[in-house]
Amino acid sequence: MGAFIDFFRGPWHIAVYTYREGIRKKTLIGFLILSLLVIFGASFISSYLDPTSETDIDLKLIKDICVATISIFGVLITIFISASVVPGEIENKVIYTILSKPVRRIQYLLGKFLGAQLIIIVNLVLMGFLFCAALYMRQQVFPSLLLWSLLLTYFEFLIISAFTFAVSCASTSAVVPTIIGLFIYITGNLTEFLKDVQNRAGQSGKWFDDMIGWVANALYQMLPNLQNFSLKTQIINGQPNDPPTDVLIPNLMAYGTLYAIFGFLLAWVIFWRKEV
Amino acid sequence: MSIAIQTSKLTKVYEGSFRAQDVHALKELDLIINQGEIYGYLGPNGSGKTTTIKMMLGLLFPTSGTIEILGNPNVGSASVKRNIGYLPEGAYYPDFLKGEEILEYYGKLYGLGGKDLRHRMAETLELVGMTHARKRLLRGYSKGMRQRIGLAQALISDPAILILDEPTTGLDPIARKEIRDILANLRDKGKTLLISSHELLEVELICDRVGILFEGVLQAQGTLDELLVQRDVTVDVDDLDDATAAKLAERGLQVEDRVGTRAKLRVASAITAYEALELCRAFNLKLIGVAPRRETLEELFVRVVGAAQSTRRQ
Amino acid sequence: MKRHQKLVLAGAMLLILALAATQGRHVRHLRESESFYRWMLAAAVNERLFQDESGQFKDKELFEQCNAASQKLAGLVPTVAAVAKEQPKAASEPPAAEPGEVSEIGKASQEYKNDPRIWALARSNELADARASFLKLARSRQLRFAQDIQYAEAQESGVGLFNLFFGFRKVAANFIWIQVDRYWHQGENYRMVALMKTCTALDPHFVEAYLIGSWHLSYNVTAKMMDTPWPQRKWDPKYSACVGEKEKYYYVAINFLKDGIRNNPRNYKLYFDLGFAVYKQKLKDYQNAVKYLSEAIRQPHDRWVPRQLFICQELNGQYAEALAGWEDYARRFPQTSTGQEVAPRFIKRNQGHLLEKRAEEAFKAAAAATDPAEAERLRKEALKFREQAKDIFMVLGSTEGDALRMRIEATELAEQKRYMEAVAVLDKARWESAELWDDLSHRIMRYKADGNLPISLSEQKEMEREKDAGLCAGMPEQERQRVQQKNAQLN
Repeated sequence: MGAFIDFFRGPWHIAVYTYREGIRKKTLIGFLILSLLVIFGASFISSYLDPTSETDIDLKLIKDICVATISIFGVLITIFISASVVPGEIENKVIYTILSKPVRRIQYLLGKFLGAQLIIIVNLVLMGFLFCAALYMRQQVFPSLLLWSLLLTYFEFLIISAFTFAVSCASTSAVVPTIIGLFIYITGNLTEFLKDVQNRAGQSGKWFDDMIGWVANALYQMLPNLQNFSLKTQIINGQPNDPPTDVLIPNLMAYGTLYAIFGFLLAWVIFWRKEV
Repeated sequence: MSIAIQTSKLTKVYEGSFRAQDVHALKELDLIINQGEIYGYLGPNGSGKTTTIKMMLGLLFPTSGTIEILGNPNVGSASVKRNIGYLPEGAYYPDFLKGEEILEYYGKLYGLGGKDLRHRMAETLELVGMTHARKRLLRGYSKGMRQRIGLAQALISDPAILILDEPTTGLDPIARKEIRDILANLRDKGKTLLISSHELLEVELICDRVGILFEGVLQAQGTLDELLVQRDVTVDVDDLDDATAAKLAERGLQVEDRVGTRAKLRVASAITAYEALELCRAFNLKLIGVAPRRETLEELFVRVVGAAQSTRRQ
Repeated sequence: MKRHQKLVLAGAMLLILALAATQGRHVRHLRESESFYRWMLAAAVNERLFQDESGQFKDKELFEQCNAASQKLAGLVPTVAAVAKEQPKAASEPPAAEPGEVSEIGKASQEYKNDPRIWALARSNELADARASFLKLARSRQLRFAQDIQYAEAQESGVGLFNLFFGFRKVAANFIWIQVDRYWHQGENYRMVALMKTCTALDPHFVEAYLIGSWHLSYNVTAKMMDTPWPQRKWDPKYSACVGEKEKYYYVAINFLKDGIRNNPRNYKLYFDLGFAVYKQKLKDYQNAVKYLSEAIRQPHDRWVPRQLFICQELNGQYAEALAGWEDYARRFPQTSTGQEVAPRFIKRNQGHLLEKRAEEAFKAAAAATDPAEAERLRKEALKFREQAKDIFMVLGSTEGDALRMRIEATELAEQKRYMEAVAVLDKARWESAELWDDLSHRIMRYKADGNLPISLSEQKEMEREKDAGLCAGMPEQERQRVQQKNAQLN
């Protein structure tokens, strides 16, 4: 038990430090301000609607736009942070001072990853808090469903973050991992297409055609499918006690966690013998 | 005297990407650093100094050969790194932190904490003369202050071995002197110091032993006394004119560094110092001083590297 | 690192990947089950309430398959009786609908508390075959009620709508709705209707779109139109009704709301708007209004919802149900102003109606009785009921109570062939209560006709119009006769 705590002590200090450093990035603050503008701007968009109709339609509009905004800006923040925590430190050589301390490489990676997660969570909480406040001002009811939606959003970010992090460990600058991170986000949302590819392949009966179908299916089975998390947009306007949603949320959390662990292990394999 | 760091047949090859040639950064390097000494690790830029140091810290991995630090071949492991303090060359320290916060962070990475850490921080800050600036943000630090704080972070765990990569680069003479004093002081406390540098004068002033690296090969290693040749004597004179200078040269006294009427007379091995002084009196020169002349490290360096370059050309 | 460490690491990675992929399969199964579950609820609601079938779709066959498969799972879907035993109902909740042709799943879907059971059914192994055929049919667009297969696999035809908007289709639906709103203000109704459908196709859970859309259709669009006279209306076999210009829009609104109900069967607002806003307010079809309002209060609902149900029950002549409802309401919410002030008034009114109805029945029974003594007893009883009703209306007070009381008095006068006096009483009564105006006017006309009293020109016109009420071109003969009989009875 003591060894276990000792193992995590170093990563924790690194995580806190990474958080303190990362939270000051100007790009991050820029994204955050933009998202806040959109969250509050949603109220203005809803004023396009007929004010005489006494329904919650403007509320729905605000909710949908805000969830989408949090997703988009959150993903940008996630990718930006995950892609830069390690390469940034290689660039300014701080990594030498850290890896020369009695810190194992996995501890270092764990610290950096946790630090990135801290930044992502704080940003998400900040955006979510303002969204909550915007809703509360309109509805006078605490939007508890929003919390579930934010939770799912975070687990989606966790997957993207872990894979971007793995890519960033192979790189010495943050530019390439950022681009690849965006690519991961886009392709992760299009995993369903692989099923389509499989359905279309195999029609000619030629061996390479079959093989394409086989490969597509194998990828479909293995790659994370970010569309699974689109449940987050459904919860926000849904019923409080929807049995499928109640079952799906913990399952999606487990799903996100498992892929994140895989992404992290990948990062470790890459970083294990990396020459810095 | 026991050995602190020893490398045997240490080789590092950076594999070139497609079609590019492999770079042999180190070739079968045998380095021995004894405990309690200041070892000057010299070499021109790109000779492989930093590569060696990074391999000692587990940041790079040797292509072949071994490194033993305090008898432990498992470099890069936490137990070995616990005994090493490292000051990298030109590293950046986060400027949103205060001086003492940085030390706290690095101290925690060594597993220090609580009273122990606070005590060490105070001690180290005092040692590098930064106690007055501990509460200031790094943003407001001068280059010398940053270098001092870097030294402090290397010292925070009171390690047995200190590896310093270009510790005095870019500092003013007074700061150099102070850092030199700190390093000498540490040696006196029994620490082992490995200083990589190309500032030869600095090294000559404080190092016990030096190794000269050129193109990945250790060209010379030993104490300064062993390496530098004690050669001749110089006589400083005044009131020298051209005719006299020519006559002196005929008698075997070489005129060097002549400025106006002043000059140094180098006494060749063919005549003794007494004969030289007689000659000075004979020509009615004003005698300023007589000094033994040892080879400088710079001369040694040029000699060794020049020899290596000429061998390579052949 | 040693060789065995590499192997361990590789093994751990493979293991985690396998676990993640397995979890991915499980999540996919759950999401497919989710869309299957939503379709099943939609099909069940359709079967129970709308019986809306269409030849080109295979919803019904698949639903039958599901039902057959669920039979194997005894106890998974409890019978309605078992549910009733489990959860003792409050008296105001309507009794379960007549089972009729309703299947097991349909019966279970009546109670929202059974949702977890249906969900368990939807993801069970026993229904794996049905689920597979659901996905196949849904992908080839052969299921009408499977609108949201976002969570199923990619659609057979390639790029689905959801991919176009990259998971943000709900936002897209909102922006389309803003355009709908603009069209409405510009008066471009046809464009509006088309876009409304796009909007709900993008977001089938956009309840507000269904509500506002149906409100636009049934109120705002038709506000500018004239009533179509009955003979000019056309019989529509799809709706089994005579449809004029306005009605066309009412039925579009109804279908739109029904779509909404199928997609969101647990949202009371849709049932409420269907029952109250369209059936009661616009079509004056109180029977259907009661049907859908009863469904509305079966879902989790706001406190004001049952009130409309009781009012519609009263309008539909279900005085006993309305009375029981109001009494229960007053008992459950004694602190509210509705419970304290409104409910007692309605309770009295319904008690009076009920007594009045019993009196009529007793009179009828007396007229039919062969035994004179028995007839006399029934007549006395009827008179007693009538007196009680009058007393209650007296207590009810206000203009409304007065009008109701005077209506009974007029009936008594008419029975004594004192038609002139009866008409005079009714004429006075109808100025007391606007709500009863139509009813009292009808009675006046009837008594005038019975007593051979002169009728006014407007009344004459009204009677002409009444004669054709409910009749239109293209009606089936059976329906025509039924309406004619009803009209004859009224006049």
